[in-house]
Amino acid sequence: METIIQSLFDGVLMGCIYALIALGLSLIFGVMNVVNFAHGDFVMLSMYFSFWVGSLWGIDAVLTPLITFPLLFTFGIVVYYGMIDHILREHFTIQIAVTVGLMTFLRAITQLVWKARPRALPYSFIQGSIQLGGYTIALSRLTSAIISLIIIAGISFFLSSTWPGRTIRATSDDLDAASLLGVDFRKTYALAFGLGSSLTAISGGLLMTFQQVDPTMGLRFGLLSWCILALAGLGSIPGLLISGLIIGVGESLAMSFWDPRARSLVIYLIFILVLWLRPRGIFGRK
Amino acid sequence: MNRKKNRNIENFLLLFFLIIALLVPLIFGSNQYKMLLVTTVLLYGVMATSWNIIGGLAGQLDLGSFAYLGLGAFTSSTLFIRFNFTPWLGMILGGLVAVGFALLIGIPLFRFRIREVWYALTTCALVEILKVVFTMWEEVGGPVERYLPYFRGSLYHMRFGSYVPYYYIILGMLLIALLVNSRIARSELGYYLKALGEDETAAEVLGVNTRACKLRALVYYSFLIGVTGAIYANIYGYVHPSFFNGQESIKIAILGIVGGRGITYGPLLAALLLVGAQEFLRASLGGEVSGLYLVIYSIILILVVLFRPKGIATLFQDGYQKLVAREVKKKSVV
Amino acid sequence: MSSEQILRTYKLTKSFGNLIAVNQVELEIHKEEIVGLIGPNGAGKTTFFNLITGLETPDEGQVIFKGINITAMSPHKICKLGMSRTFQVTRSFAGMSVEEAIRVGAYNRREEREVQKKVDWVIKFFELEDIRDYKCSDLGLASLRKVEVARAAATEPDLLLLDEVGAGLTTTELLRLMSELKRLNAETKITLCVVEHVMQMVMGLCERIFVLDAGELIAKGIPNEISNNQRVIEAYLGRRSYSESSSTG
Repeated sequence: METIIQSLFDGVLMGCIYALIALGLSLIFGVMNVVNFAHGDFVMLSMYFSFWVGSLWGIDAVLTPLITFPLLFTFGIVVYYGMIDHILREHFTIQIAVTVGLMTFLRAITQLVWKARPRALPYSFIQGSIQLGGYTIALSRLTSAIISLIIIAGISFFLSSTWPGRTIRATSDDLDAASLLGVDFRKTYALAFGLGSSLTAISGGLLMTFQQVDPTMGLRFGLLSWCILALAGLGSIPGLLISGLIIGVGESLAMSFWDPRARSLVIYLIFILVLWLRPRGIFGRK
Repeated sequence: MNRKKNRNIENFLLLFFLIIALLVPLIFGSNQYKMLLVTTVLLYGVMATSWNIIGGLAGQLDLGSFAYLGLGAFTSSTLFIRFNFTPWLGMILGGLVAVGFALLIGIPLFRFRIREVWYALTTCALVEILKVVFTMWEEVGGPVERYLPYFRGSLYHMRFGSYVPYYYIILGMLLIALLVNSRIARSELGYYLKALGEDETAAEVLGVNTRACKLRALVYYSFLIGVTGAIYANIYGYVHPSFFNGQESIKIAILGIVGGRGITYGPLLAALLLVGAQEFLRASLGGEVSGLYLVIYSIILILVVLFRPKGIATLFQDGYQKLVAREVKKKSVV
Repeated sequence: MSSEQILRTYKLTKSFGNLIAVNQVELEIHKEEIVGLIGPNGAGKTTFFNLITGLETPDEGQVIFKGINITAMSPHKICKLGMSRTFQVTRSFAGMSVEEAIRVGAYNRREEREVQKKVDWVIKFFELEDIRDYKCSDLGLASLRKVEVARAAATEPDLLLLDEVGAGLTTTELLRLMSELKRLNAETKITLCVVEHVMQMVMGLCERIFVLDAGELIAKGIPNEISNNQRVIEAYLGRRSYSESSSTG
């Protein structure tokens, strides 16, 4: 029984972080209907950037997003204007193919530069753990989860109450109407893509406070994000959060009670089950 | 008339390729290393050509070809190792098992109006799922390689002392894959697939059962890959969960797209050029090249998709058209 | 024209959120008729077509085609039964040639052996011989429209629904299309249901007309009756405000 509760705690914390990762993807897919297969690898790239910046200048992992955020944002804008913009009107397979190429490229490059062995940053100043009613909670995970929640809430506010945020929502709801109202949809798309990409910088930095990074993580985070998106459906941020929690808890329980190797298996199985039974997602609006 | 001429040229080129392919072992026959190299190139050719059925003709981005390869390999090899079952029949069963799994994900995902991205993602997931499952499944898979019994030259066991017979078997598979491609493209199924690729809704109201058509393409494709998987295991002499390789599956899709989706010999062309070059370089420069080559693959894919989405095979088609046009001009001037 | 019903809808209703697009519409089409479906923009005509052809599922009501309840049937099955359609915004098979596109339709009823004959027949009937090898993406609007009609006709339907095929055509092109549709109906006995804004086409072509406004069926009858129908005129031009006349006095 105690193991279950411990697993639940771990799962919930990871779930918050996963939800943030998926949020970046949701911005891109939900807004401009572009399937970014490379999203998970953006996260991985952020982690590597955090590692690089952190070890180069001795910065604590949790502070690296200050530098990697603008880096990823620029990267996202470059990718948008360099690739995505050209294929917006093309057949969907072309769209997917381009991002598959990007994904493969990122994976191959990181493997070439940083080699296959895992990389990690020295322990963050957020160390140790706290005891909550007999259960251990790693402080790094706790702070990461809290920061993730803050960011998610922030993005939610951004989308509903600020002008650039509402332009993004308007463009995703009705492109023609938004264009008629003077919104330059390409700039909005670029913004959404840049924002979605830079959110991975925050997730990446947070993850580096307690995890290693290796070239296979792109796949894992990618499928994870898509799974959360499939579960949540499009258009609901709270739904995204809840789905993230479900996935986090599911993974955690699988690791404790089934087999550590099965951690991803559970996620993929949930993914296929959702697509089979309820393709629009549990909270989907579109 | 143009199309008939095109087809004749294509047939001629294919015949030319076939003759060369048949002669290759006579040149390299004694060099086992080179034989494995050309066999590997042809292997990718078979997979890419089979992929064309689902990825080119049916327009679905399948990123899980090695899932079916692995299933075919494990089915055939397990029966071989445990029951001395001949791989010639084992590969048929391997193909059927692959079809079973393919239908498992195809049936829910090819429903009308489900977006294609989910199919692509699910195929990725399938490969990974199978990898973990077969690693955990100690009786059949497990973390250690399972070796197939060695025979010097046994037709029944499909095990040989040299790579030459395997080469011919793979060549045979390639011809079958090309034939299946060509037959489908010219049949009702081919037209229906092309139509639904253009506009699914319009196709439906014209009587095209889009879901059934995609499933049929999926069945052909997964069966061919499954069968190839059995042969694959016999060539390398073992099975291992690493056969379920996601990255290689993506590579197959890259070959299909770069070569020319929907064009029968397109993916084969890409395989010959890209894999051929890669294997050749690997032989000359060593293992480091693989990592670099993946970078090159991805860049080529992105460039092709952005600038020549119909594939490099169209370069040859267009080139031929221009040649014909020039000849016609010459003739009319005279 | 026979009096046998080929299509009948009962209380057909469809809403999108708060908007009731089609509201309890009941109409009947007889075999070999040419009927028109008109109404101002947003009246629900295309939604109605989508409901009949299986592209949307109604919230309420039934669609009976040739005596069979096709209400929740998938579009391709409905086509097999004998109904096909064109689209308001042309959905052409851009990468395919005219002949290939028509062939797709022809496979609906024909086996491999006979399909080429059918394709040739359709091409001849619609006078598409000159452009049979052209890619659909290279066609002008009038040709595209014709190809869409030809493609749907190739499925050998009993009922053919045409969604604004006349939009954007010049008068000459329009007249040609009209005569071809008349010929289609006369020679092959295909029932036609035409959604149109171009009044010339509707009045000149249709034997009976249904009028939709805001999702409701507000009038039905022969062209003469419809053009004099008060409600129809109001729907198109807006209700005259009676208080205005008093302010000018």
